[in-house]
Amino acid sequence: MRPPTMDLALSGLVKSFGESTAVDNVTLRIAAGELVALLGPSGCGKTTTLRMIAGLVQPTSGEVLIGGSRITHVPVHKRNIGMLFQNYALFPHMTVAQNVAFGLQMRRLRQSELREKVETALAMVQLKEYADRLPAALSGGQQQRVALARAVVIEPALLLLDEPMGALDKNLRENMQFEVRQIQKRLGITAVLVTHDQEEAMTMADRVVVMRDGRLEQVGTPKEVYESPVSRFVASFIGVSNFIQGSVVAADTTGTKMRLVCGTEALVSETGVTDGERLLSIRPESVMLRVATPGETPGLNEVIATVEHVVFKGQTTHVHMRMRDGATLLSNLSGTVASRLLPSLGAGTDVIASWSADRARVVLDS
Amino acid sequence: MTLASTADQSMANAKPRRGRQALRVSIGMILLLPALGFLLVFLVIPSLSLLSASVLTQSGSGDIGLPVTFANYDRLLFSSAYQKVVLRTMSISVWTSLISIVLAYPLAMVIAYGRPSLSRLTMVLVVAPLVVSVIVRCYGWQLLLGNNRAGVLNWLIALVFRNRATIKLMYTEWAVIIASVHVFLPLIVLPIATSLARINPSLVEAARMLGAPPWRAFLRVTLPLSVPGLTAGVTIVFALTASSFVTPQMLGGTNASMLGILLEQQAMTVFDWPMTGAIASVMVAIALCSNAASTWIIGLLTRRGQLGGRK
Repeated sequence: MRPPTMDLALSGLVKSFGESTAVDNVTLRIAAGELVALLGPSGCGKTTTLRMIAGLVQPTSGEVLIGGSRITHVPVHKRNIGMLFQNYALFPHMTVAQNVAFGLQMRRLRQSELREKVETALAMVQLKEYADRLPAALSGGQQQRVALARAVVIEPALLLLDEPMGALDKNLRENMQFEVRQIQKRLGITAVLVTHDQEEAMTMADRVVVMRDGRLEQVGTPKEVYESPVSRFVASFIGVSNFIQGSVVAADTTGTKMRLVCGTEALVSETGVTDGERLLSIRPESVMLRVATPGETPGLNEVIATVEHVVFKGQTTHVHMRMRDGATLLSNLSGTVASRLLPSLGAGTDVIASWSADRARVVLDS
Repeated sequence: MTLASTADQSMANAKPRRGRQALRVSIGMILLLPALGFLLVFLVIPSLSLLSASVLTQSGSGDIGLPVTFANYDRLLFSSAYQKVVLRTMSISVWTSLISIVLAYPLAMVIAYGRPSLSRLTMVLVVAPLVVSVIVRCYGWQLLLGNNRAGVLNWLIALVFRNRATIKLMYTEWAVIIASVHVFLPLIVLPIATSLARINPSLVEAARMLGAPPWRAFLRVTLPLSVPGLTAGVTIVFALTASSFVTPQMLGGTNASMLGILLEQQAMTVFDWPMTGAIASVMVAIALCSNAASTWIIGLLTRRGQLGGRK
């Protein structure tokens, strides 16, 4: 089983339902063998985008291209795309083997070849001995593995994953994410994953596409999207972040200078930022703390805040604070730092929170 | 100490609960009694008396008694005049069922998958024949199917094709089949629609994505998964058609006499109660067998569809 790897291109894809636009001008190129996650809250258009790629929804305008050829008007059953559904969508009246064989029967394969391929596919997901069982006799994880075997046995040009782990419990979900990713990599199938679970997107995808209100908000590797979010939306959807209001006062090729509402200034190593009202986004793990000496004023890349409460989480300790302008600030301290600082961090303590210039980002307040 | 006391408490709680449950069961039984009594007096006893009459002999004076004989069944099933009626009853019922199945699926699919307004309208139209009295409905069909130019259908044919030939439907089996399909259609459409609505829509999508054109997705996924509704519907339509009386009487005439008519003649005109009992028993047997047969045939067809590629 070594399907030809194909790239996928979406060009100006639009889908309107009456007055409302579910997907608004989505253009995206996905390289052969790449796994891209469409990530966003419900109603952001990620599922509609996936269904347009599948052919289950006809786009209002725009094109879908697989391997350079236009398939926008090719009917579903001629697209050769494998799909995993959230509810597995196994045929309940067919055995595991019959489910896997279905796509091959539609392709009118010879009996011997068909049986061989079904066996190989079931062996791949370690369910060979379950061939003659009905799906209802299998656990959720096993059912999704059957669905995976059924989807890849047809050697699809593309694999679509529609929240495939949504119905599994946490441990199983992590195993399945790993297994699906391994098989996808080994077969070299181009894949599109739809999910609202940022952790799943980060673990599985080569690139993450954050969608919002039918548009692409940001496209990048998980690291890029996490470390350099473009907007408050992305920064708070992927992980947790602190936002400090301010305005850009100077920007050149060496960095950006911001004046923060709390009075201090921040120097950020990020370049190419335009002037105007912005937010400074700092991840909680990048916020360092020290107890303020009485009357101390914060300096560059520092703000003063008051500790409200401290939550011990095991590996990290979360310190919740409030800044002078009333906004909250969160710092996740690692074990060793926390044990050194903790005795002096009672509620009501004034602390100086600081960060290094390369750990902060200037983002749009949207 | 605490453990022991909680255990004691739960024991104490369990006893009255079990008692209450037993009480509830017995109340249920008491509430069932009137219905059971009704069925016993008006269904079980008459049925048994008819069944026993069917194997007894009627004397010239009308008394029913020994000896035990199967002559009535023999006459009904093997003498050519009666056998013809039995076979005709079966064939009319089979045709009515088959035509109903073919017509029912599109309607059921509109009801199950259509826009809510369209779905409701279709439902009303499908159920409409049931609210009209059988007599009125049959007079309506007499007008529509009349064998001469006065019949609406023949008048239309003459108008459109400008020929003199008329088609003869009234007082044939086909008039009975048409009228039976008309009135029994809702009884098969509704269970099929219920079954269809229960099928997870992503199953059909999965079949389509795996390369099945729409009709193959229907045959391999939708049809087999709607079998519970199909079997229920076919059983009802078959049994009701096989036991119908007014429709064949008014539309079939002497050419399309069915078991129901034969039964009425034997009971009300000839007063041959053993023969009446035999006919009634055969009709019940046909109804019961139709259920078993349709389940078996449908099961066979869908199973063969599944195994097609695996042998």
